[in-house]
Amino acid sequence: MAVTSPLFDILWDEYILWSLLVGGFTFGWLYHHSFSYRSVDGENTPNVDEIKVGVFPKHNDDLRLEVAWTVLPFILIIYLTYISWAPLDHVWAEPGSDARGDECLEGESSANIFYADTGFVNSECYHVIEITGQQWFWSFDCDPDLGEEWTQRDFNLSADLCAVSSQMIEGYGMQPVINLKAGETYLLVMESEDVTHSPWFLQLSTKEDVLQGQKTTMWLPMTEVSESLVLCTEYCGDSHSLMAAVVSVHS
Amino acid sequence: MNREKIATRTLVIFVVLLIGMIAVPSATSLPTGVAGVKDLGCNCHGAVPSDSVVPTLEGLPETYNYSEVYILNIGFSGGPADPSNINQGGFNLWVSDGTVSPSDASVQSWNPNEVSHTDAGNDQTAWTVEWTAPANDRNVEFILHTNSVNGNAGSPEGGTSGDEWNRLSIQISSPVVVLEQANPYTVLTTLIIVSFVLLLIVLTFIFYQNNPDSFDWENFAPWVAGWLTTTDHKRVGTLYFLAGFFFLGIGGIMAILIRIQLMVPGNDFLTQDQYNQFFTLHGTTMIFLAAMPLINGAANWIVPLQIGAPDLALPRLNAMSFWLQPVGAVLIFTGVFSGTGADTGWTGYAPYIVSETAHVGTTMWVAGQILLVASSTLTGINFITTIAVMRAPGMGWMQMPLFTWSILVANLMLFLSIPAFGVGLIQVYLDRVIGTAFYDAASGGDPLLWSHLFWYFGHPEVYVVIVPAFGIISEVIATSARRSVFGYRSMVYAMAGIGVVSFIVYGHHMFTSGMDPTLRFVTMLTTMLVAVPTGIKIFNWLMTMNGGSLVYRTHTLWALGFLVTFTLGGISGMFFPSMAMDLHFHESYFVVAHFHYVLVGGTVFGLFCGVYYWFPKMTGRMLDERLGVLHFLTAFITYNGIFWPMHRLGVWGMARRHHTYFISVDEVRGVDGEVITEAVIGALPPEAAGWNMFITVCAILFFFSNLIMIANIIISLVRGKKAPADPWGGWSFEWMTSSPPPTPSFGRFENGEWHDLPTLTDANEHIANEPSRVGTWFNKLMVADKEEVEN
Amino acid sequence: MSEHDEHHHPSAWGPHDWSHGAPHNSWAPLIMSIGFGIFLFMLAAAFTNGVFDASYVPLVFVGLLVSLVGLIVWWRQDMSFDGTYEPIATGTPFKNIQIRKVAIWVFLMSEMMVFTSLFSTYIRYRTGIENCQTVFERGDWVSQGYTLEAGEALICFEPASHLIASSMWHIAPGAINTFALIISSFTIVQALRWAKKPLGTVDEEVRRKRVFRYLGSTWVLAIIFLILKMTEWFIGFYVPEIEILGIHEHHIHSLYSEGYLINADHYHHHDWVDEATGATMLADISVSASTFYVTTGTHGVHVLGGIIGLTYMTFKAWTGGYTPKNAVSIEYFGLYWHFVDLVWVLVFPFFYLY
Repeated sequence: MAVTSPLFDILWDEYILWSLLVGGFTFGWLYHHSFSYRSVDGENTPNVDEIKVGVFPKHNDDLRLEVAWTVLPFILIIYLTYISWAPLDHVWAEPGSDARGDECLEGESSANIFYADTGFVNSECYHVIEITGQQWFWSFDCDPDLGEEWTQRDFNLSADLCAVSSQMIEGYGMQPVINLKAGETYLLVMESEDVTHSPWFLQLSTKEDVLQGQKTTMWLPMTEVSESLVLCTEYCGDSHSLMAAVVSVHS
Repeated sequence: MNREKIATRTLVIFVVLLIGMIAVPSATSLPTGVAGVKDLGCNCHGAVPSDSVVPTLEGLPETYNYSEVYILNIGFSGGPADPSNINQGGFNLWVSDGTVSPSDASVQSWNPNEVSHTDAGNDQTAWTVEWTAPANDRNVEFILHTNSVNGNAGSPEGGTSGDEWNRLSIQISSPVVVLEQANPYTVLTTLIIVSFVLLLIVLTFIFYQNNPDSFDWENFAPWVAGWLTTTDHKRVGTLYFLAGFFFLGIGGIMAILIRIQLMVPGNDFLTQDQYNQFFTLHGTTMIFLAAMPLINGAANWIVPLQIGAPDLALPRLNAMSFWLQPVGAVLIFTGVFSGTGADTGWTGYAPYIVSETAHVGTTMWVAGQILLVASSTLTGINFITTIAVMRAPGMGWMQMPLFTWSILVANLMLFLSIPAFGVGLIQVYLDRVIGTAFYDAASGGDPLLWSHLFWYFGHPEVYVVIVPAFGIISEVIATSARRSVFGYRSMVYAMAGIGVVSFIVYGHHMFTSGMDPTLRFVTMLTTMLVAVPTGIKIFNWLMTMNGGSLVYRTHTLWALGFLVTFTLGGISGMFFPSMAMDLHFHESYFVVAHFHYVLVGGTVFGLFCGVYYWFPKMTGRMLDERLGVLHFLTAFITYNGIFWPMHRLGVWGMARRHHTYFISVDEVRGVDGEVITEAVIGALPPEAAGWNMFITVCAILFFFSNLIMIANIIISLVRGKKAPADPWGGWSFEWMTSSPPPTPSFGRFENGEWHDLPTLTDANEHIANEPSRVGTWFNKLMVADKEEVEN
Repeated sequence: MSEHDEHHHPSAWGPHDWSHGAPHNSWAPLIMSIGFGIFLFMLAAAFTNGVFDASYVPLVFVGLLVSLVGLIVWWRQDMSFDGTYEPIATGTPFKNIQIRKVAIWVFLMSEMMVFTSLFSTYIRYRTGIENCQTVFERGDWVSQGYTLEAGEALICFEPASHLIASSMWHIAPGAINTFALIISSFTIVQALRWAKKPLGTVDEEVRRKRVFRYLGSTWVLAIIFLILKMTEWFIGFYVPEIEILGIHEHHIHSLYSEGYLINADHYHHHDWVDEATGATMLADISVSASTFYVTTGTHGVHVLGGIIGLTYMTFKAWTGGYTPKNAVSIEYFGLYWHFVDLVWVLVFPFFYLY
């Protein structure tokens, strides 16, 4: 059971590669210099830069080197930003865009397509569901009363697409479960009844704060059968640690 | 002298009064919000328990056997219950260990530790449940609430009037005698008091060592009064170091308590409530009461020495900056010993921080922070003014030592960002105290406003604490390698660049907050960019060693260790601006790992480095090298043992600020397909438990390893070798003075003027200290008339 | 304390002999810190979530008193400071300027950040929450039931200007205050000018009188500012009928009596009566009132701080304490005072007029 989403894994792998390169270069340099420039004769060292108390020492610089290690990291940074851009756009795709489509009509399916090379999941349409956070439990609603700006739906989602149940989870107690279908994409509309919370859908590697007095949204593109935990990740008081839920995805 | 005595004693009384405030919560507790029957009782049925109801719990042994199942009979007598009524009563049984489950439909289970009656079962006065004893040794507590109702559910007054309830608490013991579990508050109080007493003893001892012949009150009182009233930058610096190290220890104790709680999954050493207070205070203490004072200590001591100034620009204000810190600390800690301390996290997010579910101690936490904001603002004014106007002749801006530059940049960042935090704090304080509505969502208040104000300060703040460490490392590597720092000018521009950019990246703390997506992208870009100046600095340090002659001392080791840990912290930091990854990492242990790498591996290691480097100058004694190397090796290794595994834990799904975690277990089926072990869905894979234990052990070892440094300091103060003026071969002005420096640090004051201030010469050929065209114009702007100058 | 000086060290309680340089021991910082701590602690005990417990009020004053004692010790060490030792800068580009002048400018930079944050809060809420008048005119509050009769309040932003800028008389205290502050900035500059005139160019008695009068006027104008502000906030005033000047009778209500309060979650204005149904719109304006009072109140606290300083300075001027040598201390205060004036010049239009 993977703990992170493929989208995350692809970015992670790329970043790890560059981290190893940069880290290796830096630490290699550090270890090399730490050994090869050890003092051989204790305190009697050649005073290359004319170090004397009360005298500002001679400048020690090399413009070409300094430009090099300004420009090269800058290029790397631009590259890393560039490869992070598309995932960013995908994660916060607008409803109605190519990646997400419009809201599903009755009987329509999202027909999710998973692209293994990027980790993106494209859907033809999406279903709107709701999660509410309050101290200290989550509640799901498959057929929320949200108003026109969020959903145009005038029918209830079938039980196959979305169902709410509960389950005893070791340590957390009796917690709500949302049963979703693999291959479908859901738009989660969220709000809090009291303070700020944040549901972390572990396997989807995604989270977004839920706030009082405002609605926030998050995409849940389901691709495979799995069961994953949802944890609260914005400190909300006493039982913050025990505020959990389960996402159960069936085929 | 008599007046002084009375005044001193009055002051002591005040201080004692102030300390007394710690133990007393500031006001009556407000209800803490939703909590189980176990804590509040059946208070829907009446405010207080009633003696007429007698709960009974039978079937419990005095000592249980492992994993044995016991049938328990729960009942009650008394109260208004009557068999002729529809309803007679109910119960709630909570057990601290083992599991309890229903025997029939009259009982239901809330969770494995708690059962209660069902609708069908509320017309009885007796129920049966099964309790399975734990498989290990714990003293088990049973808390039973029973209520006796008068059956008037249909009456106009409502169903709960006239009902009575009571509670019963029974403890049984395990087969093997176990000690009572420690109360974390007792542990914390004891450790803090012990530390404080040890501190006083050491101070008294030092006083005695200095004057063995005159060890009496007549000499002691003026000595203490001298320290309480000092405005000399060196003494204030020493006070900052003392306070900083003291609170570093306190913060460390809290960290150990937190780690003990996280040692095993599902642990109950700390309750949720206690844990929440402890991590809040750990963060607050470490940043505001340990890191900032230690940096201020180094700055106070070294900056005037490095620029050749006799003292800071505003000495009394400097003392005021210091004294606001202990007073602020007292306020911040208010309530923690009685369970009502602040529990908001050091980031204190709205609307939780203004809600009634946050503890009352939160208001005092806010008040203490307001005092610390004032302290930092005054410090900022002082240092910026000092560095701007009191540099010795010959020292232009581009001839200042890099530590001084780092303090200048840090203070500029600090005092421009901290007022925003101060305003946010005042808004929260007023919300909690007089009832303004800044963060009251019901009236239109916006919690994101706090996030913006806080992080506008919060991000520059973390650069404020790392930049001085950069300064220290620059000094130490250069001196150790017997070279001048590589690329002095780009080092200055890099620090200044970091200072400026730090103000426009704070959005990266708010990526999941519902912020506008465009802002999120901009912040991603700027956050990525801040790696460039930081990288320049790291490469410059490495290049400094080039062609040099590295003399290995303890401070050299710490500087090289810093390069390792800070680079690692910086690299892990680069993962966050990639927002699709941040959605996974936010509020997980990956964040904890990153910031501890840069804060401990960066700031604290940098400060340790500075201590070893400047201790001979400050005290006139050399520190023991062998103890220093031992400290470095043990601390460096155990430190990495603590924080490196946290990266992996974060990726696996261990969330921050959670008092405990659970392990997932895969389903195990036997040969015939029957289920041997049921699947348990938990957040973390089983290896996580082992890593957490490993981390806790390393944490305890790390804590003790730092005591080696404390011991080293004390021993060296007493009988360390006498230190020369320049033991390491540095060039800046502090190495010109004696060890320790005289008072005033440079020059002498005669006839209303300072004489004999040092002059900096420059080994490079350019004209020093001539104002540039901009400088001349600026000078004309600032100096009003010639007459003042001539006087 | 170092042993090298033979002569008696000035007491850490003051007074101080400045020819020896700045004081190097002082009880003031410790005492002031403790005083502020006690003040904040007791204030929080006196009020909790808007609930007032009067028994803690004396302790709040104890806190203020201790802070005042600290301030007095500080002042005692500065008393009769004649400018003998006024530290002068040595570092480019600030050569030959007073160090304390640079410090005041740096301090003002941080103060600017304080007011910027307060303004940001105000702008965020002002632009983010719909204006009450707009909501009223749109009219759907009637059908939604946000009326005085029903007791349900809607959230909207009610700027104080709706009340204060409603008539010439109502805005009068604010306008007078603006002029008062601007004039006081002028008088402080005049005080400085007279104090700075070189020895011999002016009779000392004339200098003493002029400096005293100008500082005194500044003080008076500042007091007027606070009195008028309190009138505006809490007292209100009455304009009698004066036929000759064509002045009609006016009862100008204070903000307090109009219900413009930080906890005003059931507020209504006489303008908000629906013609058709006669219903009155009910609003929760806590946020509007909170931003108004806290921002203008912070400014008022800064004026109060200035008054405390001015009290001492006026007294010192009366005793002839200002000479060209120490006149620059008036300039330090003048810089702060100009800043306070500047903030008011921004606060007034944004909070009172717009």
